[in-house]
This record gives sequence, C-alpha cells and structure tokens, in this order.
Amino acid sequence: MPNRKQPPPINIVSDIPFIKPKGVEMDNGLPVYFLEGGIEEFVKVELVFFAGSYMQVRPLVSHATSNLLRTGTIRKNREEINELLDYYSAFLQLEAQKDIVSISIHVLNKHLEPALQLLSDMVRNPVFPEDEMRSFLKNQQQLHLINQKKVQHLARTYFNELVYGEQHPYGYRLKPEDFECVERSDLQQFHHNWFYPGNGFCIISGRMPPKIEKTIATYFGDKGWKNIDTGKPPVYHLLTSGGRKVNLSVPVAMQSAIRIGKQLFNRTHPAYHRLKITNTLLGGYFGSRLMQNVRQEKGYTYGIASNIISLLRSGYFFISTQVSADVLQPALEEIYKELKDLRHKPASKDELGSLKNFLYGSFLRSLDGPSAQGERFKELLVFGLDFSHHDDYLKTLKSITADDIMATAADYLNEDGMMEVVAGR
Amino acid sequence: MLTYEKHILSNGLRILVHHDETTPMAAVNVLYDVGARDEHPDRTGFAHLFEHLMFEGSVNVSRFDYQLQHAGGENNAFTTNDITNYYSTLPAQNLETAFWLESDRMLGLAFSEEKLATQKNVVIEEYRQSYLNQPYGDAWLLMRPLVYHVHPYRWATIGKNIEHIQNASLQEVRDFFTTFYHPANAILSVAGHVDPQKVFDLAEKWFGGIMPGNGYLRQLPSEPPQHEERKMKVERDVPQHQIYMAFHVCGRLHPDYHATDLLSDILSNGESARLPARLVHHHKAFSEINAYITGNLDPGLFVIAGKPHNEVDEQEAEDMLWQETQALIADPVSKRELQKVKNRIEATHTFAESNVLSKAMNLAYYELQGDAGLYNRQIDAYARVTAGDLQRTATGTFRRENASVLHYGRPARP
Repeated sequence: MPNRKQPPPINIVSDIPFIKPKGVEMDNGLPVYFLEGGIEEFVKVELVFFAGSYMQVRPLVSHATSNLLRTGTIRKNREEINELLDYYSAFLQLEAQKDIVSISIHVLNKHLEPALQLLSDMVRNPVFPEDEMRSFLKNQQQLHLINQKKVQHLARTYFNELVYGEQHPYGYRLKPEDFECVERSDLQQFHHNWFYPGNGFCIISGRMPPKIEKTIATYFGDKGWKNIDTGKPPVYHLLTSGGRKVNLSVPVAMQSAIRIGKQLFNRTHPAYHRLKITNTLLGGYFGSRLMQNVRQEKGYTYGIASNIISLLRSGYFFISTQVSADVLQPALEEIYKELKDLRHKPASKDELGSLKNFLYGSFLRSLDGPSAQGERFKELLVFGLDFSHHDDYLKTLKSITADDIMATAADYLNEDGMMEVVAGR
Repeated sequence: MLTYEKHILSNGLRILVHHDETTPMAAVNVLYDVGARDEHPDRTGFAHLFEHLMFEGSVNVSRFDYQLQHAGGENNAFTTNDITNYYSTLPAQNLETAFWLESDRMLGLAFSEEKLATQKNVVIEEYRQSYLNQPYGDAWLLMRPLVYHVHPYRWATIGKNIEHIQNASLQEVRDFFTTFYHPANAILSVAGHVDPQKVFDLAEKWFGGIMPGNGYLRQLPSEPPQHEERKMKVERDVPQHQIYMAFHVCGRLHPDYHATDLLSDILSNGESARLPARLVHHHKAFSEINAYITGNLDPGLFVIAGKPHNEVDEQEAEDMLWQETQALIADPVSKRELQKVKNRIEATHTFAESNVLSKAMNLAYYELQGDAGLYNRQIDAYARVTAGDLQRTATGTFRRENASVLHYGRPARP
C-alpha cells in the first residue's frame, strides 16, 4: 500500500506553451491574427470591433446592432441566413459588451468557405429590418422583466449604477421603456460608425485549412470594405465618490443578494497583477478566505466570490453572494471582517504556496487549446498590451509575498470606501 | 475518433485513458454509478448531499480542495438522476496528486456531525437559490411527479423538499457510502498528456488495495405506460406565462434514441429549427421556446418549454405547440432538413473533442452504458436515422395520452 499520509511530489513548471500568433494586415487595414493548433479539423473565426455600449448614444443600440446582424442582409433574409448557418453547422455568437462587440463562428473546416461568405455578408451588409428589430426588442424586454425578479440581477445592476453613476454607460441601468425607444436608423448609423476594418481586429484559431490567409482576405480584406472617419468616441465623466449603500426591498424573496465593491482600474495599471492575486486569495477560488469562512465554516451560502473586472476605461472590484434573510447581518459582518483581515492577517506559507500553485495551474488551463489562447490574446489586443503582460504576471506570481498582499489590500481594498447593495428581504 | 485504452483492476475498477500530446493538462474523471434514482423515496436529495460531503475530508486527507489546488488543479462534481460524477483538471505532471486524492476518498470519508450540519445548510441554501428564489425555478419540482408516478425520476436531484435534507443522519451517510462508493461501482477515466501504461500503474498503486465492496443490485420500478393526458396549472409571481410539455420516450440504449434526439433538434436546435423559426420569428407568438430530451439511462422525456407573449391566449399557444408536433407525424422531414441536424451533431461532436475534460467525461459515461467505444459510434448512429424513423418515432411519442402539460402562469388579473 502506498503511504497515504505523504502527498505525491508536485512540480509546478515554468514552461508556458504559448502559441505565437501570426499577424497580417489586410489591404483595408484590418489586422488579422492566426493561432495555429489543435488536432480536430475546425477553426474559430472571431471579429472584434470597438463598438460596445460605451459608444452608443441610446441604450441598447450596441446590443441590438450586433444581434440583428443575423436578421437580414442586402442579399439574404433572416430565414435564409439561419438555415445556412445551421446547415453548415456554423455556431455563431454575437456578443455586445461594454467596450467591444464580438462576432464569432466555430465551424468545421469543410464548411468554412460558405460560412465565411455568410459571415462577411452579415457583418458588412446588414439591413436591420424594422419588424425584426421590433420583435427582437420585445423578446428582450420580456427577458428583462424576468431578470427584474432575480435578486442577484437587481444587485448587479444597482451596484453598477452606484459605482459609475446613472449617466455613464458603464453604470446605466436599463429601464423597461428603453426597449421601445430604439429606432432602426440608430442601428444603421451605429453600424456605419463603428463596424469598419480599422476599428477592430480578427483572430482565427484552430487547425488551419490550406490557403486560409487568402480565404480571409477574400471575405474581409478587400478595399471595398471602407474605413470611415467617425471621430473620437464620446467622453464620459467617471464618478469618484464612494461608501454608499442601497437596500432594495423584495418582500417575496427567499434570499438576499449582496454585492460589495468599488471602482478601481483595469489590467493596464501597474498594480493590476498584485491586485488580481490578492483578490484570488480573498474570494477568487474555492480555497479562498471568503469561501472557506462564509460557506465551508458557517454554511451561510451556496457560494461567495470576489472578482476584479477590467473595462477599457476603468475597472472595478466586487464581492457577491446570496444568503437567507436570517443570516444577512452575520454574513455582512464576516465579509467586512475578511476585507479587514486581508491587510492585517498575513497569508501563511501554506496558504500562499497553494494560492500560487492554483493560479499557475489556472493560467495554464486558461491557455489550453488554440481557442482558449485566442481568448487570452484578444484581451491583450483590446487593452493594447503584448506578451510581456503575461511575463509580468508570471514574475509577479513568483515573487509576491504575504506582505505585498497585505499592502495591496491596504492600498485598494479598504472596506471604508466600498459600495454596498443588498437586494432581498 | 476518440482513441483510448482500457484496463480493469482486480477489485473491479474500470480505467480508461486517452492520450493527447497537444495539451499540458490532464483531466481525471471518477464516475460513481449512483444517482438520485437510487434514493429512498423518504430520503430524496441524498446523492447530491453526499456529493458535497465528498469534499469534506477523507481518511488520510483533511482538505481535498486545498491539496488539489496546491498541485495547480481545479475540480468540481455534479449529481444527476443517474450518476454522480467528480472531475479535476491539473498540470499533467501532477497527475498522481489526483490519484492520491480520489483514491483516498474512495477508501473512506472522515465523517462528522459538524461537517454534515454545515453541508446541509449549504445544500439548503442551494435549494433556495436555484429552485425557490428564481422565476420558474420550481417548475421541474412540479413537473416530475406529474410525469412519473412510480419511477424514482419523479423527484429532482435536489430532493422533493428541504425536510428530507434536514433529516439526513450520519448513519445514513455511512450506509450510503458503503453501498455505492467502492471500486466495482466506479469508472476512472483520464485524458491528456499522459502515458496510458503509467496511468494503469498509478491506478494499481492507489486504487488497487481498496476492497471491492458488495454488489448493489439496482431494482427500480419501471414507469407504467401513461393512459391519459395530465394537466396542471399554477400561478406564480412571474411576468410571463410558460408552458411545459413532457412526453415519455425511450432510454439512451434503445434503438430509437437517436431518432428521438434528432426530432428535438428538428424542433429547436438552432435559430432555423421549426419552433424558433415559426413560433418566435414568423408568428411572433412566443418570446422563447425550446425542445430537448432529458437523455436519461432509464426511459426519459421529450420536453417542449416555451413562453408565449402575454397577449397570446394560453390555450392557443398550447395548440400551436401541438400543431408542430403533429406536423412531424403528418409529413416526413425533407432531405435537407434531416442533413442539417445531422451536420450539427457532427460538428458538436468534433468541437467536444478539443477539450480534455469532455473527452474524459465521455469515456466514463459511455463505459457506464456498456462500452466506451459507443462514443465513437454515435455519429454513425445518428447518420443512419431516416425520415421514416423520425415519422415513426414522432407517431409513438406525440400522443395526447402520453403528454403531461404544465401551465406556469401569472396571477389572474382581479
């Protein structure tokens, strides 16, 4: 029998198998990157434009513009587009975020050509039919109303409003009537203003079929797809005050959703990596202090986590959980206690060692396969960073001490400046 | 094509290994052949509560998560009506850590009243968070006993009610472990940057000495055929009505399984599928609609769930769903439509093979069904389905007396 008291030796390697992207600039200025890897015969093609909700002049315009690309082009109607996408089993994802929109397909190489032809038509020649737009917005409005019944959704949206202000696109909280105020011309204008080759990039990841560069150039690289001068994106003032609380009463709720956090900075900030590591110790994994205390010791919740979010023009930190009404106060006390302890209670050798190994493994996992590598590379491109960003992370991970973590907590995660939202009973 | 090697230890543990050099990771999956269907009707939710306890320390290891994270790993688990499945991914060179941890908790758990009490609380919060505090969250707690009267699929994995979880005793936890958690009732699969022979050696080293345990003979009551349509109506504080329809269908190993699955794809896999294309986009009667099969090992369900717009009459909305099911009986699907759903199956299958964890899970799950090689024969099995098979299966399935319908609605206006 093996000695079960003795853990097997472990080895945390320092060799990260980065796939180095091959970059090519198309004739029209669209930067295209190829990440070759994998065994299976398929690729992911992703187009990114800096056309998130930050750029819109009216709520929902970015979201509607990207989602309605599939509902009609100058050549094909919604029915034809959907039939072709499904027939060629091209899995299309349209996602509008705060700063960018991402349009991607996963497709088997044998169906790549027709799928790209269709994708190109959708991205370049959408017509945004009026009835499709009304129908989409009506369905989205229904979803919105259902979300309003979820305490975690309420906590999230009110928290963002508290952190960024109701005037700022990062903080704007959607209202039911917003779904009725969008005009077709808003979408046409928005598409014209922001969906052009010089305002984004393209990443192709997977096992490349022959002549992939030429194929991409045919559908996305020609000068017929013109760049336009839309001027600078809008400028919004960021709120700076902190320490406010909101209580939303939802009498029928069985649980209360808690969200506590504050505005910070994004991944381009020099302290980002040590903040990321500090956050993980606090609430970023199952072994974190919040999870171990509030769930594993106290049993107050099914789950609790803390996060840091990078936006192009800002960033924020938050803790979120859901608890029963009868343990709301003790749960809040434990959360604030953990925030305080973070700058006073040094991580033991064990705690720090385990955290570092976990983060190392987690980094490796986040790079597993060409599609995952493409995701990481996209983050770099969006924030104007290069691979030295990853090197810096690995260096920080290696060198960070318990004192550094306490100092980081003292610098950025003091509970005094935190916003707090509780939605529930 | 998912390649693998298989080995069986003398205590009955089945091991499957897939070698993949393109990843630095390894995925380790341990499937236990026990699910909510194996619970006593007065102690439902037990398999899932037990899954939580598997992370609370074993004979020689007090902190499972800590040790795995220390080796750069990440893990989780899930419980279904059929199985309980534990999985980890970690840097391949630390594979042995996962073997140490998984074998120790198969050897024995470090139970205590205190840990049981805490995890009961966690599960009760999970019950509230996922089932009671979500719009439509309790729909399946209502549907299951409507559809199943006898078979244990009549309760959800979370359990019939919170009291069952509150009443679980430490002795019951011990007995459950003895009955179900032993090598002959488990399947171990590993995928990633690993050498199969070394995996077999590690398995012998860590699992080889664990006693096989007594065989468990599964004797579940089979659900008798349904003879009349079942209907239920509830009012809840939701902004929109939802209709749930469920039909009894065959289990996974039945020859009609693939045809049944393709029928659900014809109805709702992709935006061009019939239900979204016709009822959401064309008639604009529904805001959301979905059809799927539950994919259980014992005879499962074909489900259609949709939210009609508030101005649409609820009965008319239900009639539209019936019309779509009857259309599948009346006319064969076209060649192109059939090819379309087959293409999507092929693509989904191929995409899943780019992920070590899904490969490890699939090997174990198909081995449970009798042979890991079944996984590789899935695409062919789907490819062989004809339009005639679909029509015949639809005829057998979409009958009034085989249907259970739940109207989950808004409160009536005063």
